[in-house]
Amino acid sequence: MNRIEFMTELAALLQDVPIEERRDAMKYYNDYFDDAGEENEKQVVEELESPAKVAATIKADLLSSAREHGEFTEKGYTDSRFDHRDMPAGKGERDGGYQYGQNGYDGQNDYRGGFREEGYQGHGYSGDGQTPPRSSNALKIFLIIMLVIVGAPFIIPFGIAVIAIIFAFGLTILTVFASLVIVSVAVVFVGVCVFIAGLVSLVPQIAVGFALIGTGMILTVIGIVATVASVRLCTIVLPGIFRGIVWVIGRPFHRKAVV
Amino acid sequence: MVFNTGAALLDAIVLAVVSREKEGTYGYKITQDVRTTIEVSESTLYPVLRRLQKDECLEVYDRQIDGRNRRYYKITVKGTAQMDLYRTEWKNYSSKINHLFEGGISV
Repeated sequence: MNRIEFMTELAALLQDVPIEERRDAMKYYNDYFDDAGEENEKQVVEELESPAKVAATIKADLLSSAREHGEFTEKGYTDSRFDHRDMPAGKGERDGGYQYGQNGYDGQNDYRGGFREEGYQGHGYSGDGQTPPRSSNALKIFLIIMLVIVGAPFIIPFGIAVIAIIFAFGLTILTVFASLVIVSVAVVFVGVCVFIAGLVSLVPQIAVGFALIGTGMILTVIGIVATVASVRLCTIVLPGIFRGIVWVIGRPFHRKAVV
Repeated sequence: MVFNTGAALLDAIVLAVVSREKEGTYGYKITQDVRTTIEVSESTLYPVLRRLQKDECLEVYDRQIDGRNRRYYKITVKGTAQMDLYRTEWKNYSSKINHLFEGGISV
């Protein structure tokens, strides 16, 4: 494993720590390799053992920071509270002269306690910096899931109803126009029939025959004009209407997309 | 090594190493310096430095070296105070241990 492979793997393993921690660690180990020099690259990689170990060390420390007291030493996880217990007793009198300004401590344990607490609250990632966005992300995902679960019984039938209405509306318009065309064609047919009837009745009753022929011719002409007009109407108006429907349906989505 | 270097002692050693350099020092050098005194693996010191930095005992800054930015660690006022505390503690602690080991009876 060379330096590049090591750093790549380390970056991958640190994906779940806060970005600032990751950047800092990557910077440190990158500097480390730079300062060790190319000739020591192999040795450094060997001594660091594995990216997994380095990542685990970093994470263990972050975790112990979150717990406020534990620390990671070269021997593994240690809780500093137990270290305190090992300190010689009677600090108070001897260290009483120490005045560090910020905490005004009396004894060593008090000072350390106050100091640690302040440090972790101010700068700990678990304290204030990184956790809130993470939890709000989780909250967002949770809300989306809840919305899907709660909303599904409503949204699905509602969606089906909307689609059915749109479909029915389109079909109605189509039918209206189709009936216009059919009526027009029927008028032509009636006109032709009346014309023929007029021809037939021309022999017994000439006046009626002429009247019927005339009516038939007028009806035929009106029918032809109406047929042509309604067909033209269909070709012009129908696509317009459907385009309009699509636009009306699409509008909310477009607006959302723009925002 | 037989004796375990606890977290506090490790903090103290790192603070001592860093405090020797007025201008501050960098990760690789800190590791090499610490290793002249105690055995630590190379991956041990980063979390210690990071923690001391968060506790405001150390401050970091980047300096241009050979066309790149090297991160330097420098001891703060708070760090110096902490170092003084550790030094006194260690003096008391080690003198008692020495006393015990070298024939003293009363502790």
